[in-house]
Amino acid sequence: MSELLIKNAVVCDPINKINCEKMDISVKDGKIVDSVSSGAKVIDAGGKLTMAGGVDGHTHCAGKINVGRFMSPHDMRMTNVPGLSGKEAPTATTRAQVGYNTPNAFAIGYRYAKLGYTTIGEAAIPIIGARHTHEEFEAIPILDKFGLTLFGSNWQVMEYIRDDEPEKLAAYVAWGLKASRGYGIKIVNPGGGEAWGWGKNVSGLDDPVPNFDVTPAQIVVGLAEANEKLNLPHSIHLHCNNLGKPGNYETTIATMKLLENIKSKRDRQVLHVTHVQFNAYGGTSWRDFESAAPQVSDYINTTDHMTFDLGQAIFGPAMTMTADGPVEYSNSRMLHAKWSNMDVELEDASGVVPITYSPKNFVNAVQWAIGLELALLVKDPWKVMFTTDSPNGGSFVNYPEAYTYLMSAKRRAEVIETLPEMALGRMNIPGIDRELDLYELAIMTRAMQSKMYCMDTKGHIGVGADADIAIYDLKPDSVDTSVEYAAVKKAFSGATYTIKGGEVVVKDGEITMTPEGRTYWVNAKMPQAVNDAMQVDLVQKFKRYYTVNQANYMVEDAYLPHPVEITTEAI
Amino acid sequence: MAVITDAICSLCGSLCDDITVTVENNVITDVERACILGRNKFVGMFLHDRIESPMIRKNGELVDVSYEEAIDEAAKILVNSKRTLSYGWCSTSCEAISKAIQLAEETGSLIDSTANVCHGPSALAVQEKGGPSATLGVVKNRADLIIFWGCNPAHAHPRHMSRYSSFSKGFFTQKGRKDRKMVVVDVRKTDTAKLADKYVELEQGSDYLYLAAIRSIVNGHEDVVPEVVAGVPKEEIIEVANTLKEAKFSCIFYGMGVTQSRSKYKNGDMVSSLISDLNQHSKSVMIGMRGHYNVTGFGQVATWETGFPMAIDFTRGAPYYNPGETGANDVLVRGDVDAAIIAAADAGAHFPQESLKYLAKIPVIQIDPYANPTTELSDVVFPAAVVGVEAEGTAYRMDGISLRMKKLIDTKFKTDEEITVDLINKVRELKGGA
Amino acid sequence: MQTVTLSLKEKNTIPIEADAINPDNFASKSKDDIAAIMVWYGNAQSPIGDLFDVSIDGSDSAGNTKIIINGDVSRVKRIGQDMSAGEIVINSSVDMHCGSNMTGGKITINGDADSWLGCEMKGGEIELNGNGGYYVGGGYRGEACGMKGGKITVTGNVRDYLGEHICGGEIVVKGDVGLLPGISNSGGKIVIEGNTTMPASEMKSGTIIVKGKVAELMPTFKEDGTEEVDGVTYRKLLGDVNIAGSKGVLLVK
Repeated sequence: MSELLIKNAVVCDPINKINCEKMDISVKDGKIVDSVSSGAKVIDAGGKLTMAGGVDGHTHCAGKINVGRFMSPHDMRMTNVPGLSGKEAPTATTRAQVGYNTPNAFAIGYRYAKLGYTTIGEAAIPIIGARHTHEEFEAIPILDKFGLTLFGSNWQVMEYIRDDEPEKLAAYVAWGLKASRGYGIKIVNPGGGEAWGWGKNVSGLDDPVPNFDVTPAQIVVGLAEANEKLNLPHSIHLHCNNLGKPGNYETTIATMKLLENIKSKRDRQVLHVTHVQFNAYGGTSWRDFESAAPQVSDYINTTDHMTFDLGQAIFGPAMTMTADGPVEYSNSRMLHAKWSNMDVELEDASGVVPITYSPKNFVNAVQWAIGLELALLVKDPWKVMFTTDSPNGGSFVNYPEAYTYLMSAKRRAEVIETLPEMALGRMNIPGIDRELDLYELAIMTRAMQSKMYCMDTKGHIGVGADADIAIYDLKPDSVDTSVEYAAVKKAFSGATYTIKGGEVVVKDGEITMTPEGRTYWVNAKMPQAVNDAMQVDLVQKFKRYYTVNQANYMVEDAYLPHPVEITTEAI
Repeated sequence: MAVITDAICSLCGSLCDDITVTVENNVITDVERACILGRNKFVGMFLHDRIESPMIRKNGELVDVSYEEAIDEAAKILVNSKRTLSYGWCSTSCEAISKAIQLAEETGSLIDSTANVCHGPSALAVQEKGGPSATLGVVKNRADLIIFWGCNPAHAHPRHMSRYSSFSKGFFTQKGRKDRKMVVVDVRKTDTAKLADKYVELEQGSDYLYLAAIRSIVNGHEDVVPEVVAGVPKEEIIEVANTLKEAKFSCIFYGMGVTQSRSKYKNGDMVSSLISDLNQHSKSVMIGMRGHYNVTGFGQVATWETGFPMAIDFTRGAPYYNPGETGANDVLVRGDVDAAIIAAADAGAHFPQESLKYLAKIPVIQIDPYANPTTELSDVVFPAAVVGVEAEGTAYRMDGISLRMKKLIDTKFKTDEEITVDLINKVRELKGGA
Repeated sequence: MQTVTLSLKEKNTIPIEADAINPDNFASKSKDDIAAIMVWYGNAQSPIGDLFDVSIDGSDSAGNTKIIINGDVSRVKRIGQDMSAGEIVINSSVDMHCGSNMTGGKITINGDADSWLGCEMKGGEIELNGNGGYYVGGGYRGEACGMKGGKITVTGNVRDYLGEHICGGEIVVKGDVGLLPGISNSGGKIVIEGNTTMPASEMKSGTIIVKGKVAELMPTFKEDGTEEVDGVTYRKLLGDVNIAGSKGVLLVK
């Protein structure tokens, strides 16, 4: 039984509607409680900003990132963000660290913890590759993890949608989540992964997937309905068609509209659209390319059925990695960059390509602006998750830098001054004066995640929550975040304290201990009769088409040493 | 009697997972579906040449000692070393590999896998150009053109062609071999080549030139290609280039004929570029034919733990990677290390003479189930359980799919993982005491 | 002017990694200060003074600092790495990475140099009076650029991958060169006075001149007449045709 009392914390906890108020926090056995005994260990926060541990709900931290590492020995040398990148020798507490965009697993754990993050979500798990994802999860210290399972180009999914078998579809999704120990449904370029099996792509929501006679629109709606039938804690998590193409904002808005009538029994969105920066492009080619963030934001401001994340671009080297196989191939040809690809039997595709976002490049400059515009033009911060789609838009270690863009118009103006003239006419950010305050930042970096993933013990510090707490060296009473952005960046770059499950894992920006984190997964229950009927079809898939036997396909318990199983009952 | 189904064969990189094994009185008495190589591993082979006891070389002879004494001696070697080479770790589980990396990190050693003498250049090629690949099932279901380049699965991966490639049947390849064209490129007509629709014979070491010529043709620059390249007439090169362009889905499986011949990793680099060019016209991928059943796993684990797939040097604390400088044979040939630990691989049988001469001069620790040429060079020897037969654990197939190997029978031997953990603890104890 | 002379006391086999040995690091320092600078020897660090006899004459800025290295340093790596000014003279063969990432100054090697000589160098000059190893003026694993500036002159032969990924600067080799020199050249100039094999593969831009024999020419170059350089007429080849937008020039006899 361990007890901890944090005194004089200035707490920013939007879930509990606490806006930077001075209070004490009591922790017992890893949970937030009402009070602790007089024997509790005491931490004096000294009036510093205190938030729940951050939750990165969309990052590439296990699985595909290893392809990125494998092809990038040059990344291991990069020291772009001092203290949070590059090579570090092992210490008594920490393992050796390397890398910037594709750091080793240990570094991922330490660096997120230094930023005050305590929970991360891997954005894409191919079911057949899930064992690998969980091996890497296990290697990431400190943090709690969860992952989203890919279903958007899956043969069984497309066949059930084509054959109008919603019950079996739901049973298959439940089985797939269990097989991969996944937390929710990820859809990447619906149908595009299958088309990429022939070196092709789908051109939009109504372009049928070759040989499967379903459209991307049907896949999205079918999986959204299955998601709600299974009553999953998260909505579908969607990477739209036509990512990265000028003019794609129309596809993006059409996709969002498609889900307006889906109903959920749970108190959350029915659609999360991910890294919208890459999907809010105007123009018809790279020549007349421009921001379409206003159009996308205008639509999002009119509706309550969805959330989204930014995919903010950070100037400098990044590493793109996605299940969107065709996009990565085009990237590599366009950028003359090295290209890794992994098509996944019966399920999906993927690719990895390095990129550098240069402020001198007009397209990159506009990309930088689009992410910020989305965050600032969408009025309700509860709809906005802050991400860089790490490391696609840039490494997560740049989050503190990106916060300053959101919180300070002055800081933005400094950057805008360095951008090419041509870019300025294609963006709207110079005319936007909104600046986020700490409360809004807390919403976008931890609180909204609690709601959108229905994780009621994460993203806040009310009684009953996990004692995941970050204390930053900022005094909300006195700091002017729109002017003192250097102080803001410094404070968020190395937490004064990061507390994970009641244990101090970071003190003054340095790792103090490295407990193992837990892995969340969803066990969705469907009626046995439906499961049995689905299994008849699945057995054939394994017998005829998979190269792994069904008995060897499911991720075994051995790969989740610290599981948290969330069960749901189908509706 | 126990019948174990869906057992995984821990022999080659094909990692067949459909084996049925019968066990009677802790002895494997029957094996179904395995190839002859795999079958030998399951029944029989592992009974022979086993190292029975920990041993230490005393007065030139290996003598049996207690496990504790061997751990003590091995840990002393590691602690007193200025730079140790840790090599092998490919016929073992990912769990053991992870511990081996930790041991290397804590002792400021250099760690490398058997890729150093087989597919290491493939990793270097990926680092130049990327690796456009697919899982084996994608090939099974889609490929209408299969190319085996510098590899001979008929002998090295006996079930590859029936399970994954030439003869397998899949969703878009219902007729199996009849739905596919098979091309073999090699320097001699192998048994695999005899099964091909087209065999291309290259002059030894000229893969790079031939690949470049195909690229020139695929990219519309036929005019720059001379009448003969790599010993192959231009019209034949054009024929193969067109076959590649016209395929719906092609896969180039490549082996050590590509990675270990002249130009080494630049060959794989050129294959990767060819695949990228081909995708302008059709769909094409490449897959390396990996030998040791878990050499792929070493690359995966090492990459997520250290950032690099092999040849990792912890001499200065943080991992450093530079094959050519930090590879196992690089440092042995130069005499850059003063001790070695060799596990789950047989350096004695596979390294060049120059390296072996140096190994004979320095203290060597061996961890292996079997007595082999490495044992002859070793000063401390640990017998280990056979992973995949006597111990469970994770392994990666040649295409990067990981599977959990089963424990089929009981053993008195410790696993590689257990021995390595004991070494880590003893090293910590000695260092703490120093 | 400051002159520092280092003499290796005893030849080592486990490599010494001496990236600390460069004029930037030695300038204006006393003999004792220099002797106390740490270098890596195996998995531990040692003071320079433990491994080398140190003598010193004068005290000056990096630009006016000359380091003379005596004794057999063929197992001492990274001498002159990152140096920006001054001079190093090595009177022996030298180990890998000599002058890697240097931005200025001059290194003279009176002996052979092992691989990665002048790797990723950005300025300055290296004169190798002997033979070179692999990757002279190349880039490290996975990098897009090798050498970007400066000049390397080799009087002897070098092995494979000379100037791999070179993006600028100049390399002159008087002797023979191994496989694939100037592979992926993106703007550097390479002159090979002896013979070589498969030069200029995947060249994007820059110039490669081979005065000796080319054993195998890549099947990826377009003939474009002849060009005269210093009174010698060469066949002019353009490519590599497989690299989009390539503007590379390969001149061969």
